[in-house]
Amino acid sequence: MFFGIEINWPILFLGVSAGMVLLLRDWRLTVPALLVNYVALALFLAEQQFLIPDLPLFGFEISTTVLVKIITGAAVTAILALTALTFSREYGLEELNEFGLSELRRAARAAQRQANQPFRLGDYVVPFWSMVLALLASLALPRIYPIAETPTIDFAWYWLGLTGLLTIATAADVLKIGLGLLLCTSSLDLLYTAVVSDSEASGVGIVPLALLSLVTILLALVIAYLSGLLYGRLKTLELNELFKQG
Amino acid sequence: MLYILLILFPVSMAASCFVLRKRSDLVVWAALAALVVQALLVAQIPLDAPSRLFGITLTLNGLNRLFMFIFVGACAVAFVASWHLPHGENFFPVMLLILALVCSILLLQDLFIVSLLLIGAGLVAVLAIVDLPTESGMLVGTRSIGTALKYLVLMALASVLMYFSFVLADIYRPGELPGRVPLARFILVLMALGFAFRLALVPFHTWLLNVVEDAAPMVSALLVALLNSTSLLVLVLAFQSFPMLLDENAFALTLLRVGALATSLVGAVLALNQPTIRRTVAYLIIYNCGMVFYGLATVSEAGLQGAIFEAFNQAIGVMLIFLSLGWFERADVRQAVAPRRDLLRRWPVAGLGLLGGGVALLGLPPLSGFASKMLIYESAMSWGVLELSLLLLATALALLGLARMARDWLLGPSEDAPTLEPAMLGATDLDAPFEPRVQPQPFSSALLTVLLLLFCVGIGLYPQPLLNTIGEVIRSFAFVRVL
Repeated sequence: MFFGIEINWPILFLGVSAGMVLLLRDWRLTVPALLVNYVALALFLAEQQFLIPDLPLFGFEISTTVLVKIITGAAVTAILALTALTFSREYGLEELNEFGLSELRRAARAAQRQANQPFRLGDYVVPFWSMVLALLASLALPRIYPIAETPTIDFAWYWLGLTGLLTIATAADVLKIGLGLLLCTSSLDLLYTAVVSDSEASGVGIVPLALLSLVTILLALVIAYLSGLLYGRLKTLELNELFKQG
Repeated sequence: MLYILLILFPVSMAASCFVLRKRSDLVVWAALAALVVQALLVAQIPLDAPSRLFGITLTLNGLNRLFMFIFVGACAVAFVASWHLPHGENFFPVMLLILALVCSILLLQDLFIVSLLLIGAGLVAVLAIVDLPTESGMLVGTRSIGTALKYLVLMALASVLMYFSFVLADIYRPGELPGRVPLARFILVLMALGFAFRLALVPFHTWLLNVVEDAAPMVSALLVALLNSTSLLVLVLAFQSFPMLLDENAFALTLLRVGALATSLVGAVLALNQPTIRRTVAYLIIYNCGMVFYGLATVSEAGLQGAIFEAFNQAIGVMLIFLSLGWFERADVRQAVAPRRDLLRRWPVAGLGLLGGGVALLGLPPLSGFASKMLIYESAMSWGVLELSLLLLATALALLGLARMARDWLLGPSEDAPTLEPAMLGATDLDAPFEPRVQPQPFSSALLTVLLLLFCVGIGLYPQPLLNTIGEVIRSFAFVRVL
């Protein structure tokens, strides 16, 4: 209870963190927001008891699968954070020919010019209205087209899926595209766990859940690899530079 | 045991090839040996004998075995061709990993796992797109990075859509709530969108164009041959698992056929006027993808047989085309800006391979695509003359596109015809302009091209064994019998 209103804290954190990923541009804020999102999702799954708790931890009974989801989230966030911290796939410079070296110098100068650009509020207009749109759709769709048992579950997976999709659509850099894809897989994870665990469905399988975690980590690794490649090539992760050059 | 070996053996060989990646010759031999063993393993697995492993069912039917052999063969062609064609440092490990993943997909019946493995295959394929040759002095092209990123996003989204549709299909029960879009239709739309991305149907085809333009020729060939065919087989598995979706979606199936017709027509029209061979080839493949999907969307025995046979044919045709294309691009010693009109005259075997591959994609006799196209036309006829006419129009336009490609780049006069200029007073042989020496196509590459061409002709003249194998499996599908 908060000022007399009953608040579902995991859903609140899930919603706010996904919104931050969609709205903000700085990886120092979006990557931690993704971690919060994974933790909130795990707490939400534990709260809803989709999976039978089988592991006593700090006085709580939780499912091992929920713990695996937290570990997956931590691994994914660590991969992206480390990539962002050390953006550089240094090509063995001694192996590069003169053309390669001069291209790198030119790219570094262009990236420096871009990095010096001041803060522009205009950059946030499209993500903001996308977020509003996603929020309206996520509130309306559970009533118009209910899939899961409760509207809360429907809101959660619609919200994660839509913010993920809109993050990809409005992304300005490679890392943010990766964050959008990861939000989409979180939505998938939630829908699968919530819906297939239903008594009338086939039941949650351990192999699909394990594979989903593996694919999520692999996705983060590939995004990290592409980010490193792009940074090594253009000294920036900006998509407009990539497609301008292409 | 055999199932586990079939999945894990290529993975272990991929790891070994990765460790040895700097020693190109050794890696080629190791990868080829791995393919021989893989083919033996496929041959050893008994048909339709399910086995349980970690709670999941693994089984192999005749159709999937046929495609496994084709995938192993396609990899073998690509690996042998890589002796003379440029390829990335990690080409062999990545392709062995993709082979392991597609073999796993063909063994599994669980659609959730299959769609996740498809995402995995897409993620691994990204590494092949941005791969650079060993100790290359070049930087990865920004176009390649852009293509890899686009491929990653679209394939991940496609698999997410497919997974959503499978989750919803899992809870679907016939009988609908009044006043809302039927769940069966919603599921089929999600499924169709997911597979439209994967199979490069218009308007979700742009990734194919980029991959064909920017990736190494053998990478493009294997991505189309392995992953597109596997996606098609997964769609057939989805139809087989949820036949009620088709039963209640006559209108949606009509829309799928219209989408497939549009893909064939748009692909064929755009193939007419492209500035490069690669782009023309890409649009011919898109035309062919539309034909394959049309056969599937008819959900008839003939259509399905034609679609699967056509996917088989597409794998061979695409290998043939990219093998020739790779050679043209490597062996052309002239400046990049020079127009190329005489490729057939310079490298006749590769030129014939390109033309043969194109003709096979179009389904002209006597090559392998003829029988499958006839089946697709037959199924179109059952839906009316208009649909058949549109398919025939698409094929005629694609043929014009191929003819235009042949005229512009293959059949032109030699560009090295000596110009008869009077000798200058006192000029010697040393004063004569340098004539670039054309590198002949190596024996192994030429032999591969000829063998593939003969294979195409052989299947075109005698398709019955393949048709029987495909037909036998299709007749056991519940959704074909019901509809």
